[in-house]
Amino acid sequence: METVIRGLIVYVFLMLIFRISGKRTLYEATVFDFVLLLIIAETTQQALLGEDFSVTNGLVLIVTLLGTDIGLSLLKQRFKRLGHIIEGLPLVLMDNGELLHERMRKARVDEDDILESARELQGLQRLDQIKYAILEKDGKITIIPKEET
Amino acid sequence: MTNKYEGLEIQEDINLASKTWTLQRIGWVVMLLIVISAVLGFTGGGGVAGINNMKVGGEAEGMQLEYERFLRWEAPAEFKVTLFDVQAPEQQLRFSKDFYEKLQVEQVVPEPKEVQVGKDYITYTFNSEGDEARMIFYLKPQQPGQLQVAVDNGRKKITLSQFVYP
Repeated sequence: METVIRGLIVYVFLMLIFRISGKRTLYEATVFDFVLLLIIAETTQQALLGEDFSVTNGLVLIVTLLGTDIGLSLLKQRFKRLGHIIEGLPLVLMDNGELLHERMRKARVDEDDILESARELQGLQRLDQIKYAILEKDGKITIIPKEET
Repeated sequence: MTNKYEGLEIQEDINLASKTWTLQRIGWVVMLLIVISAVLGFTGGGGVAGINNMKVGGEAEGMQLEYERFLRWEAPAEFKVTLFDVQAPEQQLRFSKDFYEKLQVEQVVPEPKEVQVGKDYITYTFNSEGDEARMIFYLKPQQPGQLQVAVDNGRKKITLSQFVYP
């Protein structure tokens, strides 16, 4: 029982903490973020297993975590609103060539991030070539270029 | 569902987004508060004297206890007892039931001469020399929650409460 409770607590906690830190946190994976992620993984592992390194404990934990994940995905499918709350929704950052500064500030995205995505995804050189820039649920920025006239 | 962007089919909810931003900012403050309280010692594992590192009793009372108010489940902890004005060559320390039921006594320094267990207590007997005796108990909490320990050396009884974090 203890293992299941540990698993559930850590699952919910991680979900909350990553939602609170904001989606950009995970996507902007610099070298440092990568290290941070490794440390979080290591810390979590100890909190999950405690001092019990038995096979049973490990198996129960894996089943608990995957079960929770499946359960949650079923709930999200059934209640769309829940999914929106847990995962968020995409957000338009640039509307018809115009930057929406307030949204960018709140979402902690700047022009450079948009330009970076524009170069990476579309090979664009300048901001005025972009029609829409959208911050997706997973923290990625997608770009829709202006049509050539 | 909005269609305000020409040609762009996207489900956006700016209300939800702004609520999320507000909650995120509250969350950041909560995270900061957690870190500050951890530095002060409210979550155990060191910290400022008086919050986590406790000292009760003293020379005037014949016995001093040093302990941590906040412990962590299955994490090593120490409990230090100093007896002053020691006369008899044998010293007894009696702990209430919680001490051995909820804590695992990993090691006692110095090694006690005798350990006896009664219905609601456990008694350690130590050989002593000089007029001051100091004992250290290395412990490991066995269950989370509140912990009440009464320590009695025959002359003075001190009751203290500790909290074990899960």
